[in-house]
Amino acid sequence: MAVAQAVPAESDWILSTCGMCLHGCGIRVQVRDGVALKIEGDPTNPDNLGKLCPKGNAGLSRLYDSTRVLKPMKRTNPQKGPGVDPKWVEISWDEAYDIVARELGKVRADDPRKLLCAIGDFQRILLWGWPAVFGSPNFFTSLGNYCGGSYHPVNGSVDGSFAAINDYDRCNYWIQIGSGDGFSSHLHLSGSAKRMADARMRGMRVVTLDPRMSVAAAKADEWIPTLPGTDRAFVLGMAHVLIHELKLYDREFLRDRTNAPYLVKEDGYLLRDDQGRALVWDKQLAGPQPWNAAAPADVALEGAYEFAGMRARTGFQVWADQLRDHTPERMSKICTVPAETIRRIAREFVEAAQIGATVEIEGKTYPFRPAALNYYRGSQSHANGLFDNLTYKMFNMLVGNIDVPGGHLGVPLDHRGFFIHEGEDGVLKPEPHQLHPAPPFKYPPDSTHLMEWFPIGFDAGQLNTETLLEPERFGLSYSPEVMLMYHSNPLWNMPETDKVEKIMARMKFVVAIDIQRTESTEWADVFLPDHTYLESYLLNCLEPPAVTGHSLRQPVVEPVGDTKDAYEILTEIAERLGFRDDWNDLLNIVCGFTAKPKYLLDPEKRYGVEELWDRYAQSIYGDDKGLDWFKQHGHAVRYRTPEETYMPYGRLRIPFYFEFIKRTGDEMRQKFEQVGMKDWPLDNYQPLPFWKNSQVIEDGKAGYPFYAITFKESLHTFADTVVMPWLSEVSEKDAIHGGILVNAITAENLGIQTGTRIRLTSPAGSIEGQAQVVQGIHPEVFGVSNAITRHFVTNDRQKQRGSHFNRLLTGSMRYTDSATGGLESSARVRVERI
Amino acid sequence: MPAANISALGATRKMLGFSRRTVEFQRATIADLLLSLETVDGRSLYDKLVCEGRLRGDYAIVVNGLSLKSDQLNKPLQGEDEVVTMAILRHLHGG
Repeated sequence: MAVAQAVPAESDWILSTCGMCLHGCGIRVQVRDGVALKIEGDPTNPDNLGKLCPKGNAGLSRLYDSTRVLKPMKRTNPQKGPGVDPKWVEISWDEAYDIVARELGKVRADDPRKLLCAIGDFQRILLWGWPAVFGSPNFFTSLGNYCGGSYHPVNGSVDGSFAAINDYDRCNYWIQIGSGDGFSSHLHLSGSAKRMADARMRGMRVVTLDPRMSVAAAKADEWIPTLPGTDRAFVLGMAHVLIHELKLYDREFLRDRTNAPYLVKEDGYLLRDDQGRALVWDKQLAGPQPWNAAAPADVALEGAYEFAGMRARTGFQVWADQLRDHTPERMSKICTVPAETIRRIAREFVEAAQIGATVEIEGKTYPFRPAALNYYRGSQSHANGLFDNLTYKMFNMLVGNIDVPGGHLGVPLDHRGFFIHEGEDGVLKPEPHQLHPAPPFKYPPDSTHLMEWFPIGFDAGQLNTETLLEPERFGLSYSPEVMLMYHSNPLWNMPETDKVEKIMARMKFVVAIDIQRTESTEWADVFLPDHTYLESYLLNCLEPPAVTGHSLRQPVVEPVGDTKDAYEILTEIAERLGFRDDWNDLLNIVCGFTAKPKYLLDPEKRYGVEELWDRYAQSIYGDDKGLDWFKQHGHAVRYRTPEETYMPYGRLRIPFYFEFIKRTGDEMRQKFEQVGMKDWPLDNYQPLPFWKNSQVIEDGKAGYPFYAITFKESLHTFADTVVMPWLSEVSEKDAIHGGILVNAITAENLGIQTGTRIRLTSPAGSIEGQAQVVQGIHPEVFGVSNAITRHFVTNDRQKQRGSHFNRLLTGSMRYTDSATGGLESSARVRVERI
Repeated sequence: MPAANISALGATRKMLGFSRRTVEFQRATIADLLLSLETVDGRSLYDKLVCEGRLRGDYAIVVNGLSLKSDQLNKPLQGEDEVVTMAILRHLHGG
């Protein structure tokens, strides 16, 4: 190629949206002669500001991966099992559809609940309802639950958001716990890393808690190593310091903007008058008043009061009393962080928060609290995840920083913004279920993942590892017989792989829609190849931390093989099974066309993928901004306004005392008792968080002295990037992905050196790998990168090095938050040289 | 005479036997509208969707883009109103 041809002309670049993780940064792709040559960040998109992470840069190696499946295939080897060759043969789409429709049609006629679906494509949420129109309530995977099982319900319950992030633009003191935000992962990494860098340049201090010296820890002003699942102890200790030692907290915020002053009876419920209004203590009247009747300055935030023969405390006082014994010394024994460090960070934090300060933004005055605690998976994906999440939120509340400049900001699920509805007593209505309404209790349950038993939680797919192997224990009256996997790899991403194998072995038929062969697709009977994100359409707006609006994913090249868009595939199957009309109606709901009926899909008509997205775009942005407009402009992304960002719920209060969680638990207890099921765990339905040991802590007393965690860097997300040659090559050059990380002191004590083969054994299973001795990990913790390996690899460059971390995890209720369904993502292990 | 447009999705479409229709009315409420809509088995849509005067928890009605609360069936119907009836979607799982 001549040098001149290597210089791209502007017209070579096609705007689109990245699909290498769920969040969808704006990209532009250089195309010449129908071949995509390079991917860059779209400089016009304010979401990622022209930046792009390594995954996004490597997208071409997915598009042109020589191991991609480019035609439909069917299995010819009836034997199934780990490592068994399916003996794939290519077939026509028509034959593939015939087989799938025949097998799925049989089970639909018998009992549609016998279909088990595993759907893993976050950017195509509109396809997630396909099993529902088939007639199956089941969900068989836990990918998102690892991170968001407890996180999303709590964000939705606090302020109607779906996620959260500190205010990059105005925060001055950022505590980061178990999260890669702004450094290596989570919300819109490319733009967030830029925003984090800018904040550091203007002097923002970062303190990172993590068992491992992550990127966020390495680049922080201070790294505080802690034990997995004990970060809450550190923060509860800091809350103790603020309340009981420094007596510094934002009284005005807690009194006027939360339900912290509402009176709580001894039974844990709010004290209400005969009209059902929550009461506060009026200091002037020396008696109770409805929450909205007393003058704010007269409302007591603290205290216990006797009234009409009963005793009540403010919600704030209840937590303060609960925290009285959560001293830094006691919490230090749990998390291993010195008590003095807990005290020092608490003091630094509250001083940086500038309680009482205000700031004017675009002519409006807001509270200004430039200190905030940000957190994500590592800090709260644990069996007591509800308590973890509540603790971090409430610690932020102590300095009054929720949704104010400089503070801890809610991030909406999508372009619709926060879910804002007035609930009881002037408090925001809790919105723990933002993807679908809370399912009503049912016994026996309909769903194999027991969604009817988690009214404030998400979909706990990991419970399938118990329910499908012992259905009678849970009253299930049927067993799934066929499986549909769509861009999902349950054999890799679910805990207890041995059990998942048993479940898959019971399936009479499995169909997979995917791009590449994986551990799980090797169990399929039919493989239907999907387009990659560089060959397909969608409009994306998912968890944007600073912006709002959709970005268009569009084909930049013709499909490389005989592949189809997953929407087209699922629509064709629905057509052949006779429920395309219901499928259209479901899309009407999921796409929001019910709010603008002129865009409703006709149930009698079949719509192509471009037609669907054209309608979707027009329904949100107007008739003149359909798909063609997006093809030309790439996106409609803009910065969120201050009104959309800061306290978008106006004068509604946010909950500090979570009475609805207690009430939900008590109602569930009654329902379980009515059906004679008294042993279902409900102990995490608590209105306030405190310290209690998890099963993982208890496992430490049973011969498992160490902890094991997994981690990832910006190179990878989920498991599918691990098989991408470009990314593998980079990973292999970084020692932290070379083996199981072990602290140098621990290694010396155990006689381990870099390269020593070791085995980690948890109560659930064991993994093997070579040790990598490092300084940057807590001495009691072993770290397993998710970039080390995959069991099934089609590319010769990717080495198999074992260490499938999820084999160490357990999917049972003992390792599941009983209120949210969030699962435990760390394990206790014993270690041996082999 | 004023008229409202009713769109029926999923289960409610099957109950009514149509997906979209324009209905003329005089001084009517949403409840009146539901009472006037005959389902394929001869009962009114009201009978199917309403229990003790409240919209059943399995169903949703959207009027001009806003979800009706279960106790808002007496909301007056206006000309040009767009009314959408549907079963609640409880299963949307992925990730």
